[in-house]
Amino acid sequence: MKSSPKNGSAKSSANGEPAKGGVRRKNGRLEIKKNGQPETPARFYGTALPGVKSEELSGNLIVIEGTDGSGRSTQISLLTEWLESQGFAVETMGLRRSALVGEDIDGLLAENSVTRMTLALMYSTDFFDQLERRLLPALRSGLIVLADRYIFTLIARAAVRGISRDYLHGIYEMALRPDLTFWLNVRPEIAFDREFRKSQTISYWESGRDMSLSNDLFQSFIRYQSMIKREFEYLSKRHGFIELDGEGSVSEVNRVLRKRIASHLGIPRTQYKPSHALSHLWR
Amino acid sequence: MGKREYPGALIVVEGIDGSGKSTQLYLLKRWLEIRGYRIHFTEWNSSPLVKSATRRGKQRRLLTPTTFSLLHAADFADRCERQIMPLLHGGYLVLADRYIYTAFARDAARGCSPHWLRNLYSFAPIPDITFYFRAPLDVAVDRIVAGRPKLKYYEAGMDLGISLDRAESFRIFQERILNNYDQMVNTDRFVLMDGTCRVNKLQKLMREILEERVNLDQFAPKKK
Repeated sequence: MKSSPKNGSAKSSANGEPAKGGVRRKNGRLEIKKNGQPETPARFYGTALPGVKSEELSGNLIVIEGTDGSGRSTQISLLTEWLESQGFAVETMGLRRSALVGEDIDGLLAENSVTRMTLALMYSTDFFDQLERRLLPALRSGLIVLADRYIFTLIARAAVRGISRDYLHGIYEMALRPDLTFWLNVRPEIAFDREFRKSQTISYWESGRDMSLSNDLFQSFIRYQSMIKREFEYLSKRHGFIELDGEGSVSEVNRVLRKRIASHLGIPRTQYKPSHALSHLWR
Repeated sequence: MGKREYPGALIVVEGIDGSGKSTQLYLLKRWLEIRGYRIHFTEWNSSPLVKSATRRGKQRRLLTPTTFSLLHAADFADRCERQIMPLLHGGYLVLADRYIYTAFARDAARGCSPHWLRNLYSFAPIPDITFYFRAPLDVAVDRIVAGRPKLKYYEAGMDLGISLDRAESFRIFQERILNNYDQMVNTDRFVLMDGTCRVNKLQKLMREILEERVNLDQFAPKKK
């Protein structure tokens, strides 16, 4: 794969505004893209949020996607430590972490009575609250933002529940295009093992129980996660994900992540050994 | 937007604050209720679902034009999926005090992209009749300001930073909304109602239009 994962999303930018020139990375190497792309693609998929200037956003957005049990949060902890040791300031974001509606979504999920469109829109409220009040200020200050899931999970979950993909892409057209999107791909069976070992049960939503796929929790989980995985395969092509084997060891996956991120940010050395505090994650 | 695949009917009133729409819909509702029709009345922003979030967002002033809009869309989706659609499929006459056009007019006045808003609400059923109550800005603003000691922060559009004076901010915000409504009269086939007419005269007209456009017999109480 070429050094720019953004190439794959050129198709979607055709629907919105043309890519603006002059969007230059301020930190990292200002090298011209190898495959002769004249300019960096626009930072937004479609219309920019009102009042946001792309050229002010000097930081970087790095997204880690993958189902529960794919090792996302472990990798984000390790990457945060590594980046900080390299002198980069890191901010994180993730689902249901907004001050505005994070807790409300937790409440809705606990009740299991919310309908699909409402849930999808509550998640998008949660997303844009974090985008406007956490992500954009961080990028303006030149931080590295590590996103523990992004719009792709939200689109995939809503799409498998029958909400139109065009509709969903329309809502998220004001989202920022990540610099790098990694997909930690694991087979549903492996994800099941890991999740079950961790919490001795499988969550209602992660097994898609609201979709009446099967009364057997294992079957339901596998079917649901397979549907999500198919959506991700489609999204991966459309948005140029960097797909990683999430079944590899933590240290191996982390090595690949560091390599890709280092080359994007212009970090010369990628050696890393977790501190004592994080050594328990290193398997 | 979805095609009509249900036996019910959806009647909507729209207009800026103080245009008289709620009074008129109330009278229409009373008329239908007294006759025993199968009706349901629904209001904008009334679900308990997102009330706590809206309240928190307003109190702590967390809301941006985008999240303000999305939160109301989530609220509307809840009402749409759990009340409006099931009732339309069940053959009810649904009366809505404000509908998606409120979001189109108000959120666009806050700076949201009209194209993005249309997509956001594209799951909503199209009304059978949309009564648009239009009153001149001064009349509407006077009615509201006279009835309320203090205009609320978001209500007055203070988040837009148009003016530090609440009354002035409210007036400018309402003017923008009014202009946005006016632009939808043709594109969304509004029935224009003159909000300065006498209440009973306007109500008579509203009932006539309803009877003309909707077969009310289907909502009448079943004879035993």
